[in-house]
Amino acid sequence: MNKTQPSRLIVGIGNAGVSVLDLLSVENPGMRDLLVVNNDTESLSASIVADRLIVPEGDLGDGFLSIDDEFGSSISGASAVLLCGGLGGETASFLLPALAIRSKSAGLPTLACVGMPFSFEGKQKRDLALEALEKLRAVCDGVVVINNDQLSGGTPSSSAVGEAFQLSDRTLIASLLAMRGMLATSGPVKITRSDLHAVLGVPGSVTHFGFGSSHGSNRLHEALERALKSPLLSLPGKGQALREAKMVLLFFRAPKDLSFSEVQLAVAEIERIAGERCLIKVGVQSEGSPESPLELFITASSGGSVQIVAKSNEPKPFSLTATETRRGSQQSIPVAAKADKPLKKSSAKQMQGTLDLESYQRGRFDKSEPTIIGGEDLDVPTFLRKGIKITTPARH
Amino acid sequence: MANDQIFVGLEIGTTKICVIVSEGRSDGTISILGVGETPSRGVRKGEIVDLATVTECVREAILDAEDKTNVEIGNVWVAISGAHLRSFNNRGTLVLPEERQIEPEDLEKVETNAKEVALPPPNIFLHTILQAYHVDGNRNVIDPLTSEGAMLEADFHIVHGIKTRIHNTLRCIESLKLGIEDVVLSSLASAQVVLNQDQKNYGALMIDIGGGTTDYIVYIDGAVKHSGVLAVGGDHITSDISVGLRLPIARAELLKIQEGSAADPSSGEGGTISLQNDPGFMGCEIDRFSLDTIIHLRVREIFELIRNDIESTGEGMLGLIRGVMITGGCSRLRGIASVAEDVLELPVELTRARNVGGATQIFENPQYSTAIGLTKYAKVITKNSTPESMMDRLTASIGDLFRRRSR
Repeated sequence: MNKTQPSRLIVGIGNAGVSVLDLLSVENPGMRDLLVVNNDTESLSASIVADRLIVPEGDLGDGFLSIDDEFGSSISGASAVLLCGGLGGETASFLLPALAIRSKSAGLPTLACVGMPFSFEGKQKRDLALEALEKLRAVCDGVVVINNDQLSGGTPSSSAVGEAFQLSDRTLIASLLAMRGMLATSGPVKITRSDLHAVLGVPGSVTHFGFGSSHGSNRLHEALERALKSPLLSLPGKGQALREAKMVLLFFRAPKDLSFSEVQLAVAEIERIAGERCLIKVGVQSEGSPESPLELFITASSGGSVQIVAKSNEPKPFSLTATETRRGSQQSIPVAAKADKPLKKSSAKQMQGTLDLESYQRGRFDKSEPTIIGGEDLDVPTFLRKGIKITTPARH
Repeated sequence: MANDQIFVGLEIGTTKICVIVSEGRSDGTISILGVGETPSRGVRKGEIVDLATVTECVREAILDAEDKTNVEIGNVWVAISGAHLRSFNNRGTLVLPEERQIEPEDLEKVETNAKEVALPPPNIFLHTILQAYHVDGNRNVIDPLTSEGAMLEADFHIVHGIKTRIHNTLRCIESLKLGIEDVVLSSLASAQVVLNQDQKNYGALMIDIGGGTTDYIVYIDGAVKHSGVLAVGGDHITSDISVGLRLPIARAELLKIQEGSAADPSSGEGGTISLQNDPGFMGCEIDRFSLDTIIHLRVREIFELIRNDIESTGEGMLGLIRGVMITGGCSRLRGIASVAEDVLELPVELTRARNVGGATQIFENPQYSTAIGLTKYAKVITKNSTPESMMDRLTASIGDLFRRRSR
């Protein structure tokens, strides 16, 4: 495999993951930092993604161990890892949480965008998906869940099955691009890891995702309208899911001429629908020419108990331990047998959590709407922005 | 209210909610009867973020003011701030069908013309402040109603803001069954008592540095030439200290008040400050140079941003012959005047409400300038308005929104 130094690595796992990354590559020919992992050699050989990891057929636990080193070196230069796949299938349901643990053990921010099976795919698949989702949530910094049943509710019932899967893939791509953008460091308005975790990492919560894009003079209105009409946000009515949301991430991927008033307008509209008690986090990735489309991504979280993690670095529950048992076939990841592997060693280390410097730097304004002037976030202390070193106090 | 000359100013600030009750005097001045006050909760950077909590705080402040002044409060004048407020200058032009004497309706039409500007969709007009009239090219006509001409022009300073955020303030007061006389830009209110007419005529900049925002206003030739709100204030200084010196917010706030200085740290005394142990806090030695550096950089940046903003309007600083007046709670920070002088290159004075009678300890405190200024503003507006024109003015200020909610 080609060992480049990737950043914000997107990993497609299982057949659905490979399919999504293929589509992503076709639509974004210049996009790098993609990796596909599967135990289906046919699917991998047909993939147009250059970097591939083949999991040997047979026991998935053994298979995982056989790619562990290669996966470790693939993520070694990454600044963050985005995992993607469809839950419910045996491969993705097993490998997604396992690779998430491996990524977290390497100290990398790890997010997952996963699709839940359609109800016609059967109860067993759904149960397996729910179990895998629970594990993913315990490990990842954030998980975006695309509920395919809800998604298909937005298309006419006479739609071809293929169309429903295609819509699912496209929604996964949009959520991947949104997460990738949110993890970008270019700004000018950043969404911090703690923001992502607060919205996407809440146990028992339901994630709603919508996106829209548009060009031209009325681009903001059109993009916002489309995002609010996204099936995952709109059912049973326009922006309905937002009304129940406790937290919302509003992310703009926009040309450089995105105006402050456009951002304000979108925030005001979300605030109007979601209510004042909903905490809204805004991120802007401003790049490209004025001809580029304005893309707007809305990720809302409802239910569960919203936790603000920025102020306290409470360790997250960590359900995948040394021996991980998979439903049905009772296959296990024999982590304990590989004492020299970082997977085992660092699972305890991960419990400590890491100080989120970005949130810490905004001090008491961590949860406030940023004050951006001249591209600088004025809530960040002036001395930090000017790079002036301050002598820390000596404790008694 | 029983007495038409009793005015109540309400400021919903980031650190405190303050109610000033004043009585208008026949000589045009005001006398403060008392102040109601409560620490503010649910306000960030001058804007309401938790309506229910803020409403409760306002209720407490109103009750406190009623207790202290024995005045039953029914209507209030409200100050508003926040980074969503924007301003610009615009000229309205009215070509008359023939040369004739200017009539009151012409003044209304020219104001309407000046307001025919496409605001961002969520915004509404807050103020349309007259700067000057021009009749047939004759500039700065003081009373156009006594002039004849074929073309009337008027310059206005227009302030606008996001409707929903202004709406929040109105909802809060409305839920307490209080009437709203008017909503006034904070800096405009403060300037009523901080600047005298001479300073307004010859040109002055007033800066009100509060907890969550820094409000500023420029007067030249007796009129408002520019206004702005920077969503940075004393809270940012506290937060910077907390981050830089790794102290809890409450400790950082105390350190800022007791030991902080905005002056250039290189000319400071140096040394260390000893913070004693408290339950839950391990004492430490603070390097004074570090503390002063943190504060100095933030304060300097605030003045630099104000200067850049004023210069971007094309007015420059040269017209500000009477210099800079700094007020607000944060103006009490040591060394702040020297930083302002250095950055703005103008004479600077730390000031508070003036030409006000009543309880000395209230008007001598610069943190009450806005609330006191509201009552002075109320006095001026009431004096200049007949009941009919008052309603017109209110209608002009924030339109239907206000009309629907004020009565």
